[in-house]
Amino acid sequence: MAPIRDKFTIHSKAIVCQDVELKGDITIGSGTIVHPKATIFAIAGAIVIGSGCIIEESAIIVNRRKEIMRIGDDNLFEIGCRVESPAIGNFNTISTRARVHHTVRIGSYCVIGAACVVVPTEEESLGDYTVFYGPASERRTWSGRGKVQEADLRHKHTEYLREMLPKFNRLRRGDGT
Amino acid sequence: MAPTLQYHCPCLTNVTSPLVVPPPPHLASSSSSFHPLHTLFFCEECDAVRCDRCVSVEVSGYYCPNCLFEVPSASVRAEKNRCARNCFLCPNCRNTLSVVPSDPPDSGDGRLSSIPLSTVGEPPFFLYCNYCRWDSAEIGVTFEKPTGLAAQLQKFEDSAPESLEFERLKEHFEPFLRTSSLSSPSHQRTPSSHHVHTSSITAAASAALARDIPGVSKFNPITRSRSGKDRTANKDEMHEYKSRVEVAAASRSGAGEQVDVEFMRHIETVGEVATLEQRWVNSWTSPLQTSDLKPLRVPLHSKTSKRCPTCRHILIKPEQKAQSVRYKIKLVAANYLPAIVVALPLPQSRADGSRRGASDDRGSSTGGVLRAGEAYPFHLALTNPLYDPIQVKLNVQRMHVATSGDGAAAKARRPPFVVSLPTSPFPVAAFAEAWEYEDDEDMFSTGDDNLDHDTDGRGLGSKDGRSKTKTVGVLEKRANVTMVGGEVTIGKEARGNVKFNMLVAYTYRSDDPVPSEDGGTPSRTMARAPEVKTFSFYTVVDLGPIIPKEESRAEDG
Repeated sequence: MAPIRDKFTIHSKAIVCQDVELKGDITIGSGTIVHPKATIFAIAGAIVIGSGCIIEESAIIVNRRKEIMRIGDDNLFEIGCRVESPAIGNFNTISTRARVHHTVRIGSYCVIGAACVVVPTEEESLGDYTVFYGPASERRTWSGRGKVQEADLRHKHTEYLREMLPKFNRLRRGDGT
Repeated sequence: MAPTLQYHCPCLTNVTSPLVVPPPPHLASSSSSFHPLHTLFFCEECDAVRCDRCVSVEVSGYYCPNCLFEVPSASVRAEKNRCARNCFLCPNCRNTLSVVPSDPPDSGDGRLSSIPLSTVGEPPFFLYCNYCRWDSAEIGVTFEKPTGLAAQLQKFEDSAPESLEFERLKEHFEPFLRTSSLSSPSHQRTPSSHHVHTSSITAAASAALARDIPGVSKFNPITRSRSGKDRTANKDEMHEYKSRVEVAAASRSGAGEQVDVEFMRHIETVGEVATLEQRWVNSWTSPLQTSDLKPLRVPLHSKTSKRCPTCRHILIKPEQKAQSVRYKIKLVAANYLPAIVVALPLPQSRADGSRRGASDDRGSSTGGVLRAGEAYPFHLALTNPLYDPIQVKLNVQRMHVATSGDGAAAKARRPPFVVSLPTSPFPVAAFAEAWEYEDDEDMFSTGDDNLDHDTDGRGLGSKDGRSKTKTVGVLEKRANVTMVGGEVTIGKEARGNVKFNMLVAYTYRSDDPVPSEDGGTPSRTMARAPEVKTFSFYTVVDLGPIIPKEESRAEDG
């Protein structure tokens, strides 16, 4: 197996804490916030993360496929989640301890509820506004009402973190090679 | 299975002697008499253990679990046990709904951060579930104001065909009920009869009370006959009731079968039919279709207080405020009885491996497994909750095992195991704060009645367990915990679980300040000699199942 060559391209406006485990070819967009103790492993292929995303503690983003994993803008990866999906759109919320398999492609404005496991056996592409909830991971479609307020809340969340995180955590400076 | 210890509550036995004997533990029916310590209460006046089954429970207050608003008991009935404010349950996932304003009008250019969203939000407001993202706009329920939603939703409920029908029925029967109740109280002798009923509901209730029930002796026979005559006269006058609309066809939910069959024929996905969990939360007949489910007001919870059944002393009394989880009065058994934890230590024979050629995967679980024909030590750790030191005396109850008719099985019915415990009383230190304890001087104290005066307590580790070093007796005394060791020897033909009843008697000094008769100072020191009280209770110790001899023999061979 070829050794993993680390290549981090982190935007200057992104906030990445020092305790984050990064491996492989990773691109992080502007305004994205990565909390300490997050894990981003680009083992086989590269990972491209858009702008304004929030990756919280103990979140694991792994790419074990050769193709590039593209994550869109303004997504929220809550604590303890594990994501291997090769394509994620914008404004999604992956809640605490959720798991998303590499066979799923997520659209925009989706919500994967807390502790929900999205592991279909064959390739599946989730449409926009899909919501997974409940212990049995039932799904339904959101009407989209309230998405403006949620987007506003997400931005406020990002603003607040951008202010407060550097006060209490060390930041990773510069690009690794 | 880890060994457990449970406490006996004497409420289920009929014997009235001071110390009741618990039922034999190997019977399945006796498990209801034994409880873990954290579920038991203790009544100080009766000096007895009380369990959840024997205490009398009364409601001390009602509150909404969502908004934590304490509802006075008068309005509980008026609001039908539900929250009158803005608390609703999502019909989809039964989570709490939040009131949410609609999105502001889209400015069109997508620059969201520039729009200052007002704090109140814009109408129309609707209910929104944060978890499954259901909102009430899907069923067309929106509100103009964000407060007082229950009242606004009440209008929807009132316009349902069933409630309209009920209102009409009430109006129809009201004049007849009024006349019949007016006629009968004139014959009654009770002075407290309520003659004129202001509402038709109470009139209907009192008429129902005076109704003729077969098998029950008639109340007020004289008035019965006369009011019966009146009522029959009234019945003739009552005209036919015509319902406003055919209810069965009007209400879609729970209606005739044909509507449901048609619906079921045309469903496309399973999700269109409401699941059982979604439906039984509804109090009335629940709709079959998911799209018909309505948000429900949150049902209220109650805070209860518990009393001792004999002396009516309050054992548990919660605080009045809904958000506090503390209790004003909390007489739990854990504050009075020593907590006992039973453990099966890993057998020492594993260290030398000479006893049996145990395979490795079995070796890890040998600690919890009891094999027939072996002797196992076990530990009991007693924790003293009182502020005084106690002396504990343990006693194993003899098991009277009933013999079955079959001769071959009778052999297995003999007491299958023998338990040996330290018989003399041993002390447990008083409970005190952690920093008040001295250093562990007597960690490995020598018990009074151990069989082998081996002072090296740690000798159990390296030497194997063949020599009986300190398996029975006081093993360790640390802070307010004393660990005693016992041994159980399992017979060769034993079956089932190793369960035995154990009587725990402990004596403690209760320095109740008894005022002396003479009151003189020199004699007061004598009179204040603290009295020694003894309390005893039964416990059942379950060490786990016995693996019969044939299995272990097969494993060995």
